[in-house]
Amino acid sequence: MTAPPASERARALPAEPTTERGPRRGELVLSLLLVALGTYLVLDARGIAVPGSSNTVGPRFFPYLVGGATVLVGAVLAIRILRGDRGPEEDGEDIDPDAPTSWRAVGIIAVAFLAHALLINVVGWPLAVTSMFGVVAWALGARGIVRPLVAGGITSVVIWLLFVKALGVVLPGGILLELATAWL
Amino acid sequence: MEAFVQLLEGFNEALTPINLLFALLGVLLGTAVGVLPGIGPAMTVALLLPITYVLEPTAAFIMFAGIYYGGMYGGSTTSILLNTPGESSSIMTALEGNKMAKAGRGAAALGTAAIGSFVAGTIATLLLALVAPTVVELAISIGPADYFALALLAFLAVATVLGSSPLRGLASLCVGLFLGLVGTDLLTGQQRFTFGLPQLADGIDVVIVAVALFAVGEALHVASRLRHGPVQVMSSKGSFMTGQDFRRSWKPWLRGTAFGFPFGALPAGGAEIPTFLSYATERRLTKHPEEFGHGAIEGVAGPEAANNAAAAGVLVPLLTLGLPTSATAAILLAAFQGYGIQPGPTLLTTESTLVWTLIASLFIGNVMLLVLNLPLVGIWVKLLKIPRPYLYAGILLFASLGSYAVNAQPLDLVILLVLGLLGFVMRRFGWPVAPAVIGLILGPIAETNLRRALAISEGDLTTLVDSWFSRVVLLVALLAVALPPLLKLTRRRKEAVG
Repeated sequence: MTAPPASERARALPAEPTTERGPRRGELVLSLLLVALGTYLVLDARGIAVPGSSNTVGPRFFPYLVGGATVLVGAVLAIRILRGDRGPEEDGEDIDPDAPTSWRAVGIIAVAFLAHALLINVVGWPLAVTSMFGVVAWALGARGIVRPLVAGGITSVVIWLLFVKALGVVLPGGILLELATAWL
Repeated sequence: MEAFVQLLEGFNEALTPINLLFALLGVLLGTAVGVLPGIGPAMTVALLLPITYVLEPTAAFIMFAGIYYGGMYGGSTTSILLNTPGESSSIMTALEGNKMAKAGRGAAALGTAAIGSFVAGTIATLLLALVAPTVVELAISIGPADYFALALLAFLAVATVLGSSPLRGLASLCVGLFLGLVGTDLLTGQQRFTFGLPQLADGIDVVIVAVALFAVGEALHVASRLRHGPVQVMSSKGSFMTGQDFRRSWKPWLRGTAFGFPFGALPAGGAEIPTFLSYATERRLTKHPEEFGHGAIEGVAGPEAANNAAAAGVLVPLLTLGLPTSATAAILLAAFQGYGIQPGPTLLTTESTLVWTLIASLFIGNVMLLVLNLPLVGIWVKLLKIPRPYLYAGILLFASLGSYAVNAQPLDLVILLVLGLLGFVMRRFGWPVAPAVIGLILGPIAETNLRRALAISEGDLTTLVDSWFSRVVLLVALLAVALPPLLKLTRRRKEAVG
């Protein structure tokens, strides 16, 4: 999307930018992070060991190329954003474009997912994923906490039995479930 | 003729009872997951890929063929019966399909979509079987420099042609190329960008990146702006296609196929452009222009056929060159690599049985889908009504299952979350995620070919434009980047003058 200058754009689309100043600043940060990533690629590539006497192109060449391109794209995008360009947010069947952003839901889900990742090897996959399922469903507005937990529990145990006992996938079941199904 | 014999052998392999069972399983899973709102074909394939890891290659690819086409069928049901915008390649179907369903013609809309998908899928798969050996003959002589040019074209085309903002596509591509660099360098064994973590020495698994960007990113994005209130699913009831509906549908089916297959097969593949072209064409050719915008059956038949034909077309560069041109194809390529198979010009000779069985399974899956979809549509409609909190919690559950099953490594789930958050902000700011997946999978292949080419030429960069083939491909790549901004510039100038 080519950006008309900010002033021109404001005239063309008067209603749009007023309520949503946030995303534009957020995307600026994202594009600057891209510049930082490219810089890191170029700097860190200098430390990659080049083995032997090879006079051909080594393992640093492509990282330099990608790093350079990343800095360039990030910088151009940052300039564009400063001049008022904005990307269209992706549509989806369940997305309400007029709804205010629920950072609460995003935060709770991210924390629940991180917790379940750290818990898997401690309490087993079914229990860890059941609690994650329950919290996510609750954060998204499911009624009560019992039904989500029961639904998640049944799903995860069935999947665990199917994948571990029938298909031989490695997935820790937790002490209780593993003892209970040892005879299978 | 030889291809025909091999295709028959493929059918021979695919038609055993156990393989038919895997095809059926793939078709059912693909449709069921594909029909869920918020899940497009690429996410369907990414989420179901780990399931196939436990199978031997032939069974896995038979199942995969079913999942691939099943996901496409499921997606069209969603877009017809849900009155909300879905993914870009089915927007055209939704436009008229929604209106038909609203007018009580849901069954006819679903019918023309299913039969159109079947017709397009069958013709396009046949074309794939005919074209693939020829492309391989042409491709067998291309060198590393030519291959690098092709990869460059695929990168730039996917990043700039698809999506609404070329620059954001390139940004997404850069992220993918970086993720592809993490790990051990294939040619010298040096570790790059692993942050000293031994778990990263083998690189970041494609499954994890794809599941993170598609599934976790989508779940978080939906969570940030969830549509509350009851889910409105339109009725799939009403009379089935009448004779007149058939007479109005068969030409759009064929024209849609004619748009879809070549666009899918081009390195600048994808289903968005052909579905759009098909819709525009049907709108121009129709004898009932007054119905367009109010539920014209041609507007469902054409784009739906184009969509499915493109899905088969995408397999041409994938199976003959090892070149993925859509996110789904990139994940399929990852599946091949998971079995130690590198798609490319030699694939048709070295893995002949596997490839022809895969193609035969596409035919079989297509027939199964037609038979299954017409009577089973009631079940799929029920899936559309799943309460959204449970749906997205379930998507995260399956994302966890698939990503953990790859390496049994909790760190993978942390990476999954981090990349999922990245996928969320990318969606929020309109960065397409498909280029990142393609950059990740095609980046290392491009690098290997570039370095091979430069090793042969002893560092002489002119080797990259030595052959006619690479010159033409690079020129097209240049056009893919330069043309859209130039067109916009001239258009704006015209507007300024007028």
